[in-house]
Amino acid sequence: MNSWHDLVTASLIGTERSAVPAVGIPGLPPAADGTGDPAAVLLDRAALLTAARRAGRHPDRAEPLPVCEPDPRPAVSPAAGRRLARMLSGEYPDLLTEWLAAVAARGRQPPPQYLPALLERARRTGPADSGLARLVAEAGGPRARWLAGLNPDWEFAAVPALAGPDAWRLGTTAQRRRYLASLLASDPDAARDLIRGGWDAAGPAERVMFLSVLADGLSPADEPLLEAALGDRAEDVRSRAANLLASLPGSALGRRVAERALRCVRIEHGARGPCLLITPPDAGRNQPDRARLMLELVARTPLPTWADGFGLTAKQVVAVPSGDWAPLLFTGWSRAAVAQRDQAWTAALIGQALTGRPLRTAAETEALRQLARRADPALGAPGALPEPRPDAPPAISAARSVLRFRYDMLKELD
Amino acid sequence: MAERWDRARVLALAPDASSLRAAQPLASGRSWPLTGADDDSALWGECLGNAAAPYRTVVDVSGPAYRCSCPSRKFPCRHALALLLLWSDGAVEPHADPPAWAASWIAARAARNGGTQGPKPPADPAAALRRARQREARVSSGLTELDRWLRDQVRQGLAASQRSGYRHWDDIAARMVDAQAPGLAERLRALAAVPYSGSGWDGRLLEEYALLRLLATAGRDQAALPPPLRDTVRSRVGFTVRQADVLANATPVRDHWHVLARRDLDQDRIRTRRVWLRGQRTGRPALVLDDSLTVGTKTEADLAFYPAAVPLRALVATRYDTIGDGPPSGATVAALLAGYAAALGEDPWLDTWPAVLEATPARAPVPGLHDAAGDAVPLHPGAGDCWPLFALSGGHPLTVAGEWTPRGLWPLTAWDQGGMVVPL
Repeated sequence: MNSWHDLVTASLIGTERSAVPAVGIPGLPPAADGTGDPAAVLLDRAALLTAARRAGRHPDRAEPLPVCEPDPRPAVSPAAGRRLARMLSGEYPDLLTEWLAAVAARGRQPPPQYLPALLERARRTGPADSGLARLVAEAGGPRARWLAGLNPDWEFAAVPALAGPDAWRLGTTAQRRRYLASLLASDPDAARDLIRGGWDAAGPAERVMFLSVLADGLSPADEPLLEAALGDRAEDVRSRAANLLASLPGSALGRRVAERALRCVRIEHGARGPCLLITPPDAGRNQPDRARLMLELVARTPLPTWADGFGLTAKQVVAVPSGDWAPLLFTGWSRAAVAQRDQAWTAALIGQALTGRPLRTAAETEALRQLARRADPALGAPGALPEPRPDAPPAISAARSVLRFRYDMLKELD
Repeated sequence: MAERWDRARVLALAPDASSLRAAQPLASGRSWPLTGADDDSALWGECLGNAAAPYRTVVDVSGPAYRCSCPSRKFPCRHALALLLLWSDGAVEPHADPPAWAASWIAARAARNGGTQGPKPPADPAAALRRARQREARVSSGLTELDRWLRDQVRQGLAASQRSGYRHWDDIAARMVDAQAPGLAERLRALAAVPYSGSGWDGRLLEEYALLRLLATAGRDQAALPPPLRDTVRSRVGFTVRQADVLANATPVRDHWHVLARRDLDQDRIRTRRVWLRGQRTGRPALVLDDSLTVGTKTEADLAFYPAAVPLRALVATRYDTIGDGPPSGATVAALLAGYAAALGEDPWLDTWPAVLEATPARAPVPGLHDAAGDAVPLHPGAGDCWPLFALSGGHPLTVAGEWTPRGLWPLTAWDQGGMVVPL
């Protein structure tokens, strides 16, 4: 194809300063040149060669790709695949982790064409949400590892599966987490020994990982470790340990907090029914701090404290009037319900938000947002929740939509 | 009422991701105190927004066409999308009578559609003939001017093109608009991007200039061309054929048309949607601009082709039934290249050709596809890495449909090993 390059070179220089190269196409007689204008001759020869080059194109050669190992897991339903596409295009993207965890737990295979978008999202969020990377790799299975082998950006998903104690000794945090979680299910004492033995040498991220594994199977045997973690250098470790202790029935910390809480919140049965009387903890002269301390106390208090202390169910407690303190109590209880994974309280609080007094503060709205994302998705089933009042604010319908979305999303995966 | 669309088909109409996001929360009965659908193809509804009065939205799904009282310039707006989503969920009251504000629009549309059915005699045949003659003369002098401009470029040398900026091509494009040759104007405007299209830009610019001169020359001598080639030249210059004339003159081709692929193009802020079809019996490719065909399905229809040396552009004259789906049969790379070569023999300006390959993606030396014989074609550099295609294949062969161009294949649709259609 030298003649084509000659033509291009001549056209770059211009026919004012360059001669028009002759061209020949094998099998064709030389074309008759038209006008005497060299520019026209060059363009006509180029047109002939362009058509000839396009029509006479030969196939290229390519290096075949490695073949991905088969994935024995059955594919998710088409409806679930469409929902994944909706989430990737911006509808409830924060629920992707829940979707991926559910897919992995059910041993299903996500539609492979969406894996690049998932891997890319996990890469972009990076260490800020290492859970997403772990779940994409796990739910993505062999196809995600295969893609990671083709694109160095997705290396985090390329780690070969390590099994058994090797995962613990040599693996990444994600692999160690998986090993530890399975050991905790099969041999809890061995798992706790591993955590205790590794605690001092572990970095803060690893200590957070230990606590998040323990959260899935909390036992009174964990109390000494958690008590010690209350004095940890890292804030995240301290607050996780405190939340775990609050949800550990009968823990010493839980009892201490419960006593303080019941001193600050008392129930009074008056002529017009019960009401809650609040005496916030003393914060010296700094009044705003008293509200903050009160909120922290409620958020840390083991939730059974209230029901046991007042002799009421969760549903009844959240409905007791508390005047100006109501938004703070709602927010604190909601945070406790999320941290302690208490479904009875979560359901009670959502029901209260739907039918009780209107939510007033941004903190309450945010609390409801979180509750709707952690609640048992069965609450999203049609008819499971009471109809909201007609004048309900957008936050209420948003919470109902999230629950409905999660309900449908998990139902599609069964 | 027309057959309800599935959600994916509604979402595919969204002009951008933010419209998608905005429409979905609106698609709940609470936002729509009033909705309805007639027994034909119209939907309407009133949507509560922040404004005092509800927005009034009407959609004609046969177009589809939309009207909404909201100030959005998105098209369709979020309200029209939300209304379609509601309808797709079966939440729109069927067999309803439209309120007056919707009825007037629906009636106006019906009247306009009725108007395009039969050829309307021109009001004043003599004036029309005079206008047509005037246009021919203008186009002809435009072609002469373009030819002179092209020769000037080559005389002075193309090396300066990288420094000339888009005005260089916009000016000559504007002169072609004045000469009533919009097809040439569009081709010229697109050239402004060529000097920035990476290595080989000089060769690509020369190719385009050479083909434009060929078009200008052919346009001036069109009387000497065989009729189909003359039609091709005229349509590439920018003469349009009225739909009514196509429907009246073309012999309809009835077939089971496989909807292969869809590509959205933004030209001058107008979005066109190209849909590629292939007839199962005739094997004929066709290009329609029709929103209502779903990729991956097969539809029995009569197509009326616009006259051309390689007839591709067509109208759906009569649509019968949607008859199942499943992958089309894919060709080899050699067959694709041979088919394109044959088509080029009839229409040397043809630079977009429908392709259906049975092939495996490859990444080296460049992203591409290779068939069982080892013959490969590159992917179009503009199509990017096309990771979804790679992910779908896992290194195994797939059926891939797309547009073959001189720069490579632009993949648009793939069918996975289970035969499921995946738009790329």
